[in-house]
Amino acid sequence: MDFLRRILGWSTGSETTPPKDDIIITQGDTEPASPPEPIIETPANAQPPAEASTTLAQAGEEEVSLDKAQTAPIMTPVAGTRQLPPLETVVPRPGQRLTFGQLSDIGMVRGNNQDAVFSIISSSISSDDLPDFGLFIVADGMGGHHDGEKASAITVRTIANYVTGNIFHALTQKQMDDEDRPTITDVLLSAVQKANEAVTDLIPEGGTTVTTTVIMGDRAYIAHVGDSRAYLINDEGIEQITRDHSLVQRLIELDQLTPEEAAEHPQRNVLYRAIGQNDNLDVDAITRRLLPRSCLLLCSDGLWNLIPEDVIRNVVSKHDNPQHACHELVDMANDRGGPDNITVIIVEIPG
Amino acid sequence: MVDTQKFAKNLPEQPMGEGALQPGSVLQGRYRITGVIGVGGMGSVYQARDLRFPNVTRHVAVKEMLNLTSDQSVRELTLRTFERESDMLASLSHPAVPEIYDYFSNKDRAYLVMEYINGRDLEAIINSITEFLPIETVLQWALELCDVLGYLHLHEPEPIVFRDVKPSNIMIDQHGRLRLVDFGIAKTFQVGQKGTMIGTEGYSAPEQYRGEASPASDVYGVGATIHHLLTRRDPRLEPPFTFAERPIRDTNSAVSAELDATIMKALAFEVNERFPNAALMKEALEKLTKPSFVGFSRPSEEVADDLGEWGALEENEARIIWRFQCEDEVRSSPVVHRGVLYVGAYDNNLYAISISDGSFKWKYPTEEGISSSPAIAETENLVLFGSLDHLLYAVDSRVGQIAWTVPTQGSVQSSPAIAHGHVFFGSDDGNLYAVRLSTGRVQWKWAGGAPIRSRPLVTGENIVIGMESGDVVGLDLSGQMIWRFKAKRAVTSSPVEHDGLVFFGSMDWHVYALDITRGWKVWSYRTNKPVISSPAIGEGKLFVGSVDGSLHALDASSGKERWHFDTEGQITSSPAYADGAVYFGGIDGKVYSVEVKNGRARWQFETKSPVPSSPAVHDGVVYIGSMDHYIYALKA
Repeated sequence: MDFLRRILGWSTGSETTPPKDDIIITQGDTEPASPPEPIIETPANAQPPAEASTTLAQAGEEEVSLDKAQTAPIMTPVAGTRQLPPLETVVPRPGQRLTFGQLSDIGMVRGNNQDAVFSIISSSISSDDLPDFGLFIVADGMGGHHDGEKASAITVRTIANYVTGNIFHALTQKQMDDEDRPTITDVLLSAVQKANEAVTDLIPEGGTTVTTTVIMGDRAYIAHVGDSRAYLINDEGIEQITRDHSLVQRLIELDQLTPEEAAEHPQRNVLYRAIGQNDNLDVDAITRRLLPRSCLLLCSDGLWNLIPEDVIRNVVSKHDNPQHACHELVDMANDRGGPDNITVIIVEIPG
Repeated sequence: MVDTQKFAKNLPEQPMGEGALQPGSVLQGRYRITGVIGVGGMGSVYQARDLRFPNVTRHVAVKEMLNLTSDQSVRELTLRTFERESDMLASLSHPAVPEIYDYFSNKDRAYLVMEYINGRDLEAIINSITEFLPIETVLQWALELCDVLGYLHLHEPEPIVFRDVKPSNIMIDQHGRLRLVDFGIAKTFQVGQKGTMIGTEGYSAPEQYRGEASPASDVYGVGATIHHLLTRRDPRLEPPFTFAERPIRDTNSAVSAELDATIMKALAFEVNERFPNAALMKEALEKLTKPSFVGFSRPSEEVADDLGEWGALEENEARIIWRFQCEDEVRSSPVVHRGVLYVGAYDNNLYAISISDGSFKWKYPTEEGISSSPAIAETENLVLFGSLDHLLYAVDSRVGQIAWTVPTQGSVQSSPAIAHGHVFFGSDDGNLYAVRLSTGRVQWKWAGGAPIRSRPLVTGENIVIGMESGDVVGLDLSGQMIWRFKAKRAVTSSPVEHDGLVFFGSMDWHVYALDITRGWKVWSYRTNKPVISSPAIGEGKLFVGSVDGSLHALDASSGKERWHFDTEGQITSSPAYADGAVYFGGIDGKVYSVEVKNGRARWQFETKSPVPSSPAVHDGVVYIGSMDHYIYALKA
């Protein structure tokens, strides 16, 4: 009966005299043995559809005033391909709004960090009721002569530019429900295609993976190429929601290898799809609903190759502050040899 | 290897380093290096001149292999393997196998001296063309390739497996003859590589990644090479082992169905479904090159076809558990509850039929036809349905006695939805009605301004309705509008919900996925005709029929098509998902059962008339109505 909480006009009163403002709030275990029968009332202000659509159209035309300081969204862009200092710009207060932590580390063996990471959060309180917005990107570059780090840097920059222009801008213009807009999935796929074009043009010998997530309200929209990963972590456990575009993953799916054999396979690092590979790039799109207090984790293979899923989950669950969890995960990977660059983003959904 | 693994991380910048031989240097006092033919990860191939023939220019190819292992015993083992395989190669005698002249080794390298082949490899040929190659040319190469591999596969005492059939290992020499150039000896010298690389081998059979290779693995390599030649689609740039999803004729229509099928057989994922060796594949290819006699075309297959049709007829009848005849067409979709099937018909009746044997229990007559599908209110023991006579009926589901009706100002074609003690339904009068089940009293109605013929979707917090105006509206449970989405044409398809997304089809040819809380467009998928069918969800896929004649299976999370299944007519029936299969009717008069995993037909059942009705699947039985007046109970 949880849904009752949210319903206006449902009451416990008798049918003849329904108290208009009575909203039932059912709290956990204290639900009465026999729940009262809900009543759906005829709303006093039921609107004919013509009026309703006018209201909507007017709302869409409203200019967004950016000088209303108290309603302006907070934007916190952070990007880098080198190890970042601990974040001081975002002081997460879990449970109230979208919070995140991120870290990218060179590891213990490599001479440079070819990973790139990028995050934005916007959160606002106003009568416009804009959902929290987040954009998070992890890219793991490949190629000699600094081509790898250039490819991943161009990729995160291109995607960030395209997504802010085509989604964040529409959000703040209140144009998200414009029927002629491309779908959110299409915008995200186009963003990755733009990155592919840019890398192909500018870094012909370089390539990169990319896993990018847009969060709006309680939904995550993910676009993905390569073997960086996105995980969903909640009370039920940890779930990998991206699929590696690697040879061994394909062999596992075809029952030719077990995951254990894949971990030792001489060709376990071979990808069959990446940014900068060719013009015709097939990008995976995924969208998922995020439950309150769940976490989304993006990482490069420098993390998931070394740290088992259940350990990742325990570390994320243990920390209130997602930035602290990022540090612990990177430290663990380095303790285990840190053979590759290690990059992680943890996003916490408010509860 | 050179191109596909160009992104190797962490390899030495120049793998050959300073060790590469310079032109002019002489090996064994006999072979003077004149140039480099190729550079690979394990060593180079040089062109050299044989100084034993001072009066003529005799060129040889010198293949150099680096023995990089630091472990002394492994190094010696590697060398012995190299010598053994060189001896074996030297014993071969086939026009497509290059002659071996000599081999020798020093410190960290081994050398193989062989026939120098003047020509181009198939990889270079593919890269240089802008049109498809003539099919006869490719077929001729395929025959020559199968001929030499067949020679190796039938080698005594044991078959020789080439292991690495791919365009770059196959040359066409200056006389136009096909030659095999790399006998995989280099693999002995391969060391583990580090760092992520893009690009798979593309031509290797799946079992080879487990370290197993047989003549059938080479057959796979032949298939992959020919597939690449005929389609010009590089398998190294496609997801591995996806040939089955990419028939050659999809890209190159000049290829015959028989040739396509032969190559696809070579590319079968399972080893035992391929030709066991290249000699047998050659036989199959030879049959294609022989002209067939007119009027004398393979009688055995025709007999098989005839038998197939006979079998299909018998199978059709065998699938029926029972059938029940109504007095008019059945367009409405049945619902099953406690052993009883409820369905409306154009003869104005709502029928209650026992599912155990198809016996009649009761019927309830309305004033006009019933096109909406009934809904069951379990606690109230009611079956609810709309009629073209403008009424919504609530009838006792046990005995068929009327409980109450709700009058509207238009036909009720919308199927009702039951939730929260209420029934929700739309009418052609443009209203959505919320009616209390216990009393039949209208709690509220929401004026949509256009006929509502789809079934409302009611979740814990939202109501979503599609309208004939193309509007799709999200309401809260008290009937307040939260959002509105406009499709370009009518939405008759009933919305369904999964993971916070609402899915529906539109007459504007699209299937849409919206965020249920805000109405934002998450993805859309375009079919080739209007979509009236309502989607069903199973295993993360969305199934929806289109007037374009196909059932489309889309990834619910991205809107990407996973497969489609073609029928011979429109599909307006809404599919039903159960136990790994999807069931639906076609205007071609058939009921289909399709495998969810791959979109292949499990069975089909022929009725006498179009099937716009949607199936109900219950305990391994499919219940569906047809315009031939029958309700069928079919084995799932």
